[in-house]
Amino acid sequence: MAPSNPSGDVRNADLELVGRIRSGDGSAFEALYRQHATRLYNLASRMMGAKGDADDLLQDIFLLAYRKLGSFRGESSLGTWLYRLAMNHCLDVLRNRQTRMGQQTDSLDEPDAQPVASPVPLVGAVSRIDLERAIESLPPACRAAFLLHDVEGFGHQEVGTMLGISEGTSKSQVHKARMRIRSYLAHGLVKES
Amino acid sequence: MKCADLQSDVLVDLVDGRLDPAVQREVERHLEACPECRALVTDLRSIRASAFMLDRREPPMTTWIQLRDKIGAEPRPSARVLMLPTRHNWPVWLGAAAALILATVIGLLPLMNRNAAAPPSVVNEPAQPEVTVESVAAEFEAAEQHYQKAIDDLQTIANKDTGELDPQVAAVLQKNLSVIDQAISESRAALKTQPTNTNAQDGLFDALRTKVALLQQTVELINEMRKGNQAEAGRRFQTLSQ
Repeated sequence: MAPSNPSGDVRNADLELVGRIRSGDGSAFEALYRQHATRLYNLASRMMGAKGDADDLLQDIFLLAYRKLGSFRGESSLGTWLYRLAMNHCLDVLRNRQTRMGQQTDSLDEPDAQPVASPVPLVGAVSRIDLERAIESLPPACRAAFLLHDVEGFGHQEVGTMLGISEGTSKSQVHKARMRIRSYLAHGLVKES
Repeated sequence: MKCADLQSDVLVDLVDGRLDPAVQREVERHLEACPECRALVTDLRSIRASAFMLDRREPPMTTWIQLRDKIGAEPRPSARVLMLPTRHNWPVWLGAAAALILATVIGLLPLMNRNAAAPPSVVNEPAQPEVTVESVAAEFEAAEQHYQKAIDDLQTIANKDTGELDPQVAAVLQKNLSVIDQAISESRAALKTQPTNTNAQDGLFDALRTKVALLQQTVELINEMRKGNQAEAGRRFQTLSQ
């Protein structure tokens, strides 16, 4: 994916694609979908966990993107813009879900407030299934940063742009997520306080 | 350096491979002497490497078909602020006034479009995706960086711990890595002459993926040996040798 501050070529390519979509070019929006759907599908699926419907969420994200394409100005790459929109939507859905369930969500811009107990070492390869469960147990904000950085491979600066937080907060959230995952893998599910 | 100096900012940069070299040397010296911190760093690196290796599922075909129908019922996205000139040198009051006008216009645009726009023709007809050379190149470059980052991380873990490997195992590993590195070099050379050649791109990705998998298997083998699980270690060595 292109960096958050796109080069001239990337910016021109993004603006051209957006221009084609706006002018009604039938293949342009499909091209955008094909470029980003798989990554966004996996991101949305892991953000929502087992209870989420990633198919519906992916459709909602692209529908939202289509409606908001007019506001894309090329200040960041189209990919970064799309991921930001997608993560905001996922976090909104999670907030609504948790509000209905009477739970409080963590703030994205909040530094690592809750220390994690020092677990025993893992001593072994991390099982994929355990790791997926551990990710699902993370608070939404640090889950978002962890998925973007460690699973999808974006840099902290890009993660910051996508989540509307500073680079330092992205690092802090990713570290918090790794420590919680380690704790989960060593001791099992750690209840959120 | 003490355990307390390994704060989150140091740990995160260390695991990401972005620590200042001088600080990194100090940290490595501390890790050699401190089993608890060493275990912590090994675990965090393992979590990061495993996270990158998680499965990627494709969305079902029906998702696009349903989305295409929904998009077909939408009005075209409006231009809004796309063509605005930069405002860096405008007086503050002018900027504020422009923002106010802009907000008003943006508020009206959906209504204007609804009245003026022709029925949406977007994505109703089946069409092949059309991607520009620039966007493909950018995607490709980012994907390659993604793999390279994983390789660097795994290589760091493997380099650190391959001293624990039997010389025969280390030799097999080295031989396999050399073959893969050769394939990576050849694919990169082919891509230099033909940057948009999809076969060359696929070849490079295959080679990078193979290297990631080999390094991951090496780390898992080392872990089994540490646990004293000889049977599992033997099985993993057989896999590595193939």
